[in-house]
Amino acid sequence: MKKEDVNELFVTCMNDHKEDFYRLAFSYVKNQEDALDIVQESIKKALISIEAIQKSGSIKSWFYKIVVRTSIDFLRKQKKITLVDDQTFEFLSHGKEDTYNDIDLYNALDELPILYKTVIILRFFEDLKLEEIAEIIDENINTVKTRLYRGLKLLRIIITEEELI
Amino acid sequence: MDKKLEALRIEYKNTPIPDDLDFIVKKALKQKTKKNVNKMKRLIGIGAAALIFITGINASPNLANALSEVPIVGSLIKVLTFTEFKVDEETAKMEIKVPAITNMENKTLESTLNKKYLAESKKLYNDFMAEIEEVKKNGGGHLGVESGYDVKTDNDQILAVGRYVVSTVNSYSEYTYDTVDKKNELLIILPSLFKDDSYMNLINENIKEQMRLQMDRDPDKFYWLDDEMGFKTIAKDQSFYINDEGKLIIVFNKYEVAPGYMGVCEFTIPTDVISNALASKEYIK
Repeated sequence: MKKEDVNELFVTCMNDHKEDFYRLAFSYVKNQEDALDIVQESIKKALISIEAIQKSGSIKSWFYKIVVRTSIDFLRKQKKITLVDDQTFEFLSHGKEDTYNDIDLYNALDELPILYKTVIILRFFEDLKLEEIAEIIDENINTVKTRLYRGLKLLRIIITEEELI
Repeated sequence: MDKKLEALRIEYKNTPIPDDLDFIVKKALKQKTKKNVNKMKRLIGIGAAALIFITGINASPNLANALSEVPIVGSLIKVLTFTEFKVDEETAKMEIKVPAITNMENKTLESTLNKKYLAESKKLYNDFMAEIEEVKKNGGGHLGVESGYDVKTDNDQILAVGRYVVSTVNSYSEYTYDTVDKKNELLIILPSLFKDDSYMNLINENIKEQMRLQMDRDPDKFYWLDDEMGFKTIAKDQSFYINDEGKLIIVFNKYEVAPGYMGVCEFTIPTDVISNALASKEYIK
């Protein structure tokens, strides 16, 4: 594909879906500034490797992939530098508990291992197809399905086979 | 869907979107443009700031407002500016307007024409960008290309769209025409107007006559005619259009039949010269 075309498609894709990408980043880092940083960082990364894109249809999932990786990278780096003792952690993490009714449920999603959280968000909140998710996390479709089942089980959510696909 | 999952989904979708997002995305995307310029600067070794806009009607409300529209009385078929390509540097200027025909019933014809227009413009744009690099490598110079279109004829029956390319690179200019039968929504090609190939000779003789006459009357005019390289015959698919009075106009590009100063040459063919060869009197009157 021509370079100008890809650039144009990428800009259009960003304009159409920037909010989806932001929400995804936010779901990992849980604060506005870091989520914005991740969106910015992901665009930078994308522009550097934009020539690698072959099909126009894959731009969106390709960028999801970058956002997911950038977010996970960010969390990894953050883990190294924010060492908090258990008491402080306990204190901070429960500070807001009373403000939301369904905080337990939402927290449950955040407490899921990233492995499961990613597929659940992409499948049920971003409405991506199983194939697209497989491409994003670099695994095959069966792995995606398994992770969805396990993730849902951990959340104690029961759905039918049709809803999964 | 499961209630819990639904609740999670709603919660997720309700993540507040900060106002800064728009700004940050735009800023990040712009960095590419800047980087591009730097690359180009290195490549072509000039200090000119380059701005490349590729805008579509859908992407830019401003352009949509400013788009030139050619309304047609009694018909909905329109020609409008679909896209513009622009390069504006100190030593290189380019402006390409891509026309698009809309509201045709015959979608195949409409999209064929529009795709052709877009493809031609893209090629022109790419050639131009390549040329910039080439010229800069060889020491620099000024470059310019302008391309656009004008509607030559637009009446109840005929829509003739002419596209031109004027280049200062080699002082080359070219006109190409598409003549569309609006009633039947057909693209008219030159051979389709005539019963057989005899039209070529009739038109050739008439054009030669006109050339001689013009040269006799006006010493400033000159056509390549009576020498080896001179005008012999029109091409089977010679550039042409049909004007508002239903006359056939044959068009020659610059340098095709005359020295450069004569520019693009048009010859109006009197209808009585070709009337015997015409397939029908519908278009040519």
